[in-house]
Amino acid sequence: MKLCILGFGAVGRGVAKVISMKKEEMKEKYGLDLKITAVTDTSGAAIYDEGLDPNLLLKIKEDTGKISNYPEYGISKISNMEVLHKVDFDCLIEVTPTDIENGEPAKSHILKAFNDKKDVVTSNKGPLALSFRELAESAKENNVQLKYEASVGGAMPILNFAHDTLPSCNIKSIFGILNGTTNYILSRMAKEGSSYEQILKESQEMGIAETNPAQDVEGTDAACKVVILANSIMNRDVTLKDVEIVGISKITQEAISLARNEGYLIKLIGEISEDTLEVSPRLVREGSPFAVDGTLNVATLKTDLAEDVTVVGKGAGSIETASAILSDIISIYKSKE
Amino acid sequence: MRLNLVLELLDIPGQLIDALEPIGRLGANIVTVIHQRDVKTERGTVPVQITIEGDKDTLDRVITTLENRNIQIMEVDGVLRKEKIRTILIGDIVDKDVKDALNRLNVFEGVKVVDFNLKMSDDPEKSASKIIIEADYGKRKDIMKRIKDVGISKGFLVINEV
Ligand SMILES: NC(=O)c1ccc[n+]([C@@H]2O[C@H](COP(=O)([O-])OP(=O)(O)OC[C@H]3O[C@@H](n4cnc5c(N)ncnc54)[C@H](OP(=O)(O)O)[C@@H]3O)[C@@H](O)[C@H]2O)c1
Repeated sequence: MKLCILGFGAVGRGVAKVISMKKEEMKEKYGLDLKITAVTDTSGAAIYDEGLDPNLLLKIKEDTGKISNYPEYGISKISNMEVLHKVDFDCLIEVTPTDIENGEPAKSHILKAFNDKKDVVTSNKGPLALSFRELAESAKENNVQLKYEASVGGAMPILNFAHDTLPSCNIKSIFGILNGTTNYILSRMAKEGSSYEQILKESQEMGIAETNPAQDVEGTDAACKVVILANSIMNRDVTLKDVEIVGISKITQEAISLARNEGYLIKLIGEISEDTLEVSPRLVREGSPFAVDGTLNVATLKTDLAEDVTVVGKGAGSIETASAILSDIISIYKSKE
Repeated sequence: MRLNLVLELLDIPGQLIDALEPIGRLGANIVTVIHQRDVKTERGTVPVQITIEGDKDTLDRVITTLENRNIQIMEVDGVLRKEKIRTILIGDIVDKDVKDALNRLNVFEGVKVVDFNLKMSDDPEKSASKIIIEADYGKRKDIMKRIKDVGISKGFLVINEV
């Protein structure tokens, strides 16, 4: 199976790493021979139809910062569209940055791949949160697959879990902590009694929160995941503008300590239920499934037959997120055997 | 003694048996069971009326066991059970008039504010108020929405239970 990877940041590099780690295992276990035929970043691309060396890709990116420096097969200033046009591949791995204004350029990359009858695996929330139906329909029309497990909760299994493991059940509602950065900040505020501003600053220094933390702390990132879950698992036709969003930037130590006196914690919770689509700070009982610390993500699915089912996992991280992408690749491969 | 209970069951097979099983096992007698699957609550659940008989200790044990099994008891001997709903509001309590917010919650039917607690901050906007409300069983979702509406209309950040 030939892969074209657009974007070579934390997730793209994670994919190269797990492919390098698991290449032999994939062959032995599934008879799956994975080849990376193209990788792009903002400098350009590396393209080789017989397969690039994942370790060399990683080394070049680390040493020079530019994938276009790949020996012999590096090309500078080539657009992603040209790459998609030119390269021989079976499956697009779309891992460019999330854009929540129009989902671009990822949306165009994905649609182009579909039109060329290629499958797509992505971790990119933008196009899914803004144009879910359009993408799903295009994939269907072109008879190809779109998989995006990594886009919600990184390594926490939820989308494929609901579709493949609980197909007997109707999912009535989903409640979850869907953003690791805010969970980390709120957990530390509760433990240490420091202010929101102080913990945010430290999280930024540690690389857990981004320099511009707005998407995380204002709840937009979690809201994108709410939209993806609602569309994918609960068959709703909604986009980002349908979600009521309140972030955590106004949460005070006073509120956290009042909650603690009652045996409660404050967490940023995404809710998808019959008449509600929202992200907001909520009170959760200490000791309940939502009382997870650090950057963990958690979600409880209320089902008609199995009652509550809860999943927990690492919501972000290079290798963790890549694990979900590799699982999607394997599942596409298996579906074609 | 006899006890009349109204249980709230999900409309799926096996629920009634699950609810009745501990009653017999704990040594209480089941006198009547009225189970009409076509009568549903607004939440889509089925209310089941049962009358059980036994000594007080046995009946108490039955209630605890049912609760531990997450079987909801709506009424005991004709009295609606109450549940507690907690909320925290963040914002200036004087400026935004938290007292008026409480009054507006108290007027809802079956709702009573039973506890109120404050944590003041040097910056009044950062102050937090905790409100505990007692409400008739089964109205949680509806009441949480009302609390949110009242809180937001007063300019507070509302933190409801999950
Ligand atoms: N990080 C996580 O743990 C995680 C978890 C779940 C989902 N996601 C999602 O996965 C995606 C990738 O995340 P990331 O953390 O890997 O991001 P990142 O570290 O910022 O990397 C983005 C990569 O895309 C490249 N890029 C930027 N604009 C591009 C363009 N127009 N065309 C081609 N490449 C472009 C960048 O090039 P340069 O290297 O030249 O700058 C960089 O290599 C995002 O959509 C994110 O929301 C991430």
